[in-house]
Amino acid sequence: MAITADDFSPAIALDGARKQRVNLTQARIRWMILALFLAFGLICGRLVMLGMVETDQSIEGQTRDVIQASRPPILDRNGLEMAVDIRVPSLYAEPRRIVDVEEAVRKLRTVLPDLKEDWLRNRLSGDKGFVWVQRELTPAIEDAVMQLGIPGVDFITESKRFYPGMREASHILGSTNVDNQGISGIERHMDTESIALLQELGLARGAALTPVELSIDMRAQHVMHDQVVDAMTRYQAIAAAGVMMDIHTGEIIALASVPDFDPNDPSSALVKDTFNRVTSGIFEPGSTFKTVTLAGALDSGMVKLTDQFDARYGVRFGRFTIDDFHGKHRILSLPEVYKYSSNIGTIRVMQAMGKEAFRDFLSTMKFDKRVDFELPEMRVPTVPGSFSEVGAATASFGHGLSVSPLHLVTAYAAFANGGNYISPTLYKRSVTEAEPLYERVISEDTSASMRYLMRLNAISSGGSGSQMNKAALGYRAGGKTGTAEKVVDGRYSSSKVTNFFASAFPLDNPKYAMVIMVDEPKAENPQSGTTAGWNAGAITGRVIQRVAPMLGIAPDFSEALDQQIVPASVRQLYPEGF
Amino acid sequence: MIRTINIVLVFVSVAMLAGVYGLKFTIEGTAAERTALSAKIHEQEGELSLLQADWAVLNQPGHVEPIVRRHEVELAVGPVKQEQFAAFTAIPMRPARPDTAAMDALFQAVAEGIDPIDAILELEGIE
Repeated sequence: MAITADDFSPAIALDGARKQRVNLTQARIRWMILALFLAFGLICGRLVMLGMVETDQSIEGQTRDVIQASRPPILDRNGLEMAVDIRVPSLYAEPRRIVDVEEAVRKLRTVLPDLKEDWLRNRLSGDKGFVWVQRELTPAIEDAVMQLGIPGVDFITESKRFYPGMREASHILGSTNVDNQGISGIERHMDTESIALLQELGLARGAALTPVELSIDMRAQHVMHDQVVDAMTRYQAIAAAGVMMDIHTGEIIALASVPDFDPNDPSSALVKDTFNRVTSGIFEPGSTFKTVTLAGALDSGMVKLTDQFDARYGVRFGRFTIDDFHGKHRILSLPEVYKYSSNIGTIRVMQAMGKEAFRDFLSTMKFDKRVDFELPEMRVPTVPGSFSEVGAATASFGHGLSVSPLHLVTAYAAFANGGNYISPTLYKRSVTEAEPLYERVISEDTSASMRYLMRLNAISSGGSGSQMNKAALGYRAGGKTGTAEKVVDGRYSSSKVTNFFASAFPLDNPKYAMVIMVDEPKAENPQSGTTAGWNAGAITGRVIQRVAPMLGIAPDFSEALDQQIVPASVRQLYPEGF
Repeated sequence: MIRTINIVLVFVSVAMLAGVYGLKFTIEGTAAERTALSAKIHEQEGELSLLQADWAVLNQPGHVEPIVRRHEVELAVGPVKQEQFAAFTAIPMRPARPDTAAMDALFQAVAEGIDPIDAILELEGIE
């Protein structure tokens, strides 16, 4: 075995200088790679950490988007703003970043002295990330607080609802809460539709929302509100309300009810008796219901316009006798029954029609269910499911059942427009959009007869609508009074009454129907009375006088217009027409 | 050869670094400008919303009526009455034919210096 020096030399010889350098470089590269891996690992870790962090977007349980969400402006039918959003600063604090709570409390109270010291101290101490201090302030206060320079106190811009019409359309608009969500009126209805969804998604921001157009005409609404407010002092009433409707489209042109509230101060809506009497108040409609009875009877064909009814004696039901208020005690023709508002005559008309048919007609006119309407404040009317003899008799002149003024105005609209029932709406609607919704309830001929009867009541001597016609002269208005005695201690009281005037105008080419209600009015002066013609009727006249020119109805005194609405059959009885 | 390439590369990378750095600063400047602008827009939108609300209040019939009522007497205005309305159809038609002979006589009289109005004024005692 030969052992060569070559075999041993590598074992003991040190590496050559070149190899040494290669080894060193390789080691350096390894360290370098390790360092790079560590560095990148660190960066990745940090990225994952950042990705895991959930930034708290919520403000006391609500997302920022919801708080800053805006609502679409509400316009009247002519484009006048009824509700707009304004941007207001709201003061909040981040207690975790407040250095000196005592100093912050003292300084804040110099600008906002209404804040309780203890409450504010509690609010600002602790480790919370966000607390409201006071919401919806003015820009002036914002500047003053910013001048204080307190760390951890800042402003966020919120949308706040503002109603430039103040009280005028309060019951239509309703109000919103501090989070800009609708709590009543059309605001509430809008939320149930689509805006709530948009707000939730955070899309309802900025001024890009399409305005909502209502059917209300603010000019007419102003007149209506003005007149019902006037009625409160003029007749010392406890409440008054009015509603006007376009009879062809069902659009509500004006709707007012007092006592009302200020939608800019939603807490004022909590005051007693401020409910909307037009939709959520139900009343015995009194003689205004005779129009319904007569329409039903005429349409059934059992009664004709020229028929005579015996109103000489009261109608007896057991112990009760129903008599007339303005008793004529003679045989009356049908137009006279209406004109003199004869209870006896109306009972005879209803009996000729039959009480079952009468009850069915009330269902046809939807008097026994809620009106299909946008406002959430609605009450179910109380109409008996079936009538006894005496029940049907009292119901025929509007006692023993309660309906809302909205029911009445919808019924009168159907009677005047040619016999088509159209549900009222607060949104703008054209005639072409409304026509598919029509439901025929009475015939064209009956509708023509009803228009004649309503006009007759206004212009014929002794008609209960003459007070109304005094003011509304030339606007061809007509309607029916209703004086319903209130039940006090289980008995009908003649001193406490609810008065109605249901009308339509201009009757030669009817466009609008209106119901005015005055609750417990007193006589305006010793010469006037407390029946409906004196108050509800007079208000109707004044409203028509002011509103008709705004709605494009020109006064016309020519008698030919009145003569053309007289049905041919009446001419046999009264050649002169009225 | 490699040496020159390296030198060129070093210069290029320094130049690019400077470029990126400059770009970063300009972008930061633009971002700040944008933030300032959007803050200003936000503020102005807030002011605009207040102005719009003011405008809406001033336009309300309920706001206008009390003003009119206050100046009712001085301006001699009042609610419109039914009798104040008229239609174009209510205006009488022009007479069938103008009376040319009478007009000629009138113009001739005026040309000759006789003013028929003078006679009426004298009769009424107005100078």
